[in-house]
Amino acid sequence: MISNTKAAVRFEDVTKVYAAGPFRRGVRALDGIRLSIDAGEVFGLVGPNRAGKTTLVKILLSICRPTSGRIMRLGLHWKDRRTLARVGYVHESQAFPRYLTAQALLEFYGALSFQPKATVRRRAGELLERFGLADRNGEPIARFSKGMLQRLALSQSLINDPDLLVLDEPSEGMDLTARRVLDEVIAERKQQGRTAILVSHHLNDIQRLCDRVAVIRAGKVAFAGRVSELIGAQTGATNPSLISDWPAEHPSHDRSLEEALEPLYAGAER
Amino acid sequence: MNLSQWKMTIGWLVRDTFRQSLAYGICWILLGVSVLAIGVCASAGVTGSVQLAEPGENPDFLPRNDRDSRNPAKLKQSGVVVVAGDLTLAFGAIRIPLARDGQGAVHFLQLVLAGGVADTLGLLLALVWTAGFLPGFLDGRSISVLLAKPAPRWVLLAGKYVGVLTFVLCHATLFVGGTWLAIGLRTHVWDPTYLWCIPLLLLHFAVFFSMSLLLAVCTRSTVVCVFGSILFWFMTWGLNYGRHVLAASATAMPDGHFSSAIMWLVDLGYWILPKPADFSVLLFDALDAKNYFGPLFDLKTLQAHGFSIGLSIATSLAFTAYTLFASARRFATIDY
Repeated sequence: MISNTKAAVRFEDVTKVYAAGPFRRGVRALDGIRLSIDAGEVFGLVGPNRAGKTTLVKILLSICRPTSGRIMRLGLHWKDRRTLARVGYVHESQAFPRYLTAQALLEFYGALSFQPKATVRRRAGELLERFGLADRNGEPIARFSKGMLQRLALSQSLINDPDLLVLDEPSEGMDLTARRVLDEVIAERKQQGRTAILVSHHLNDIQRLCDRVAVIRAGKVAFAGRVSELIGAQTGATNPSLISDWPAEHPSHDRSLEEALEPLYAGAER
Repeated sequence: MNLSQWKMTIGWLVRDTFRQSLAYGICWILLGVSVLAIGVCASAGVTGSVQLAEPGENPDFLPRNDRDSRNPAKLKQSGVVVVAGDLTLAFGAIRIPLARDGQGAVHFLQLVLAGGVADTLGLLLALVWTAGFLPGFLDGRSISVLLAKPAPRWVLLAGKYVGVLTFVLCHATLFVGGTWLAIGLRTHVWDPTYLWCIPLLLLHFAVFFSMSLLLAVCTRSTVVCVFGSILFWFMTWGLNYGRHVLAASATAMPDGHFSSAIMWLVDLGYWILPKPADFSVLLFDALDAKNYFGPLFDLKTLQAHGFSIGLSIATSLAFTAYTLFASARRFATIDY
């Protein structure tokens, strides 16, 4: 049992097995995950492709059900959906209804978080302004570029001013200005004592924004702790050729984090 | 989740469905069909009608081109009324000789609109066009964020179902109400039974759209939803119609060809599944279709074989409720 009264999120021995079907084999996506994320913390989740990061996030948000284990979200059991009104979420490859305008989309998702209409309107205007979409707010989002859609997804996740923000690959397709706004938003929320979970392959994002990080590998927690601890623990045990799925276009992070992750990623492809 | 939050969630999903229908062009197509039908009715008129002798009386009529109609003495002796009027369309450009009185001509027009255009063509087209709404909504990349909202999954599903029904109700009301009003203004025939078509059309659609919903939840495929729901409609229509034919022939030939096992199986299917042919019977009965086309089924014979309007509707609704329940249960357990 993980005891932490300040925890915004707790996973206790969480396992997820996708059952085998006629055309697919069964997969143990998560295997006894134990994690605790404090309130006010920015927590990073990293790991190779198919490690189970997105499944873990989806279980946290009740999009997916655990096979076993216990999950607490903002102090309540994961089945209690009331806490979801205080959660914001950016999906890794979100497809919004293309017939909605940016303003209508934010009002729609805000209303479904049970926010008052006037508050949603006001916040929608503010967020669109902040993410540089205010001048396009009346256009159907079918005309938006990938980067604009990603900024809209981020605005959507903030429409209910959430206490827990879950961002799955939020900076994909974003330009530098938008990334800077993302950084500002996360920093502001941290100052306000709000929690954020960041799933990313961008190590520079993880290194820059996160207080702590967990490395998920083959459905298990391979490491959980401060980024500095991860670098300190693993330095020297490296072999660059083992990183088979590391995107080459992530340039500016500290190489030491990449080197620290190499042994944790090695042979993780399932 | 309290009542006002339920209402708000469903309200927003209804609104979203209307936006979707506008974006897909379905709303405009159905609006175009309604405006066209209303236009036809607004151009209709009845000239030279004969009046019924007593309200509800159904006297004999003789077409004006009948040989006997030119023999006044014979006519006077028999008391048969000669029909002399026309049903005009396109403001008199098209003239259709009346087969009986003016009210009958109006009923005939309403019957074509309700039974032919709305209940058959309109219903099937609405099923086809709305079948794409749900698979798009339930796609993993679209719905994940909605699933991370506090509303339970079944409320999301109910909201979308109610949204599509509200959309169809609006168009059915516009079509039936608009044509009723236009015909009434032009011919002064105000028959309120025609308005029964609105709830009947909605009921008919609601039953079959529930099957589309179940298919969408299970497969998330538009193609399966379109073909599955249409196939299901034809299958149940065939079973429903076949059951009544069997029942009627069993009466006509008590020692007939059908074994009791077949009758029992057909009866079982009839009572379990929705009954689209019965909806047509109700619609045609409400519009006195037997005066124009002959009865689709003899209601009295059907009633002798356990047919009951109330039971027919209730069992169709029970099937719908079960289908919706099964959809909600399935949706609740899907991992996205």
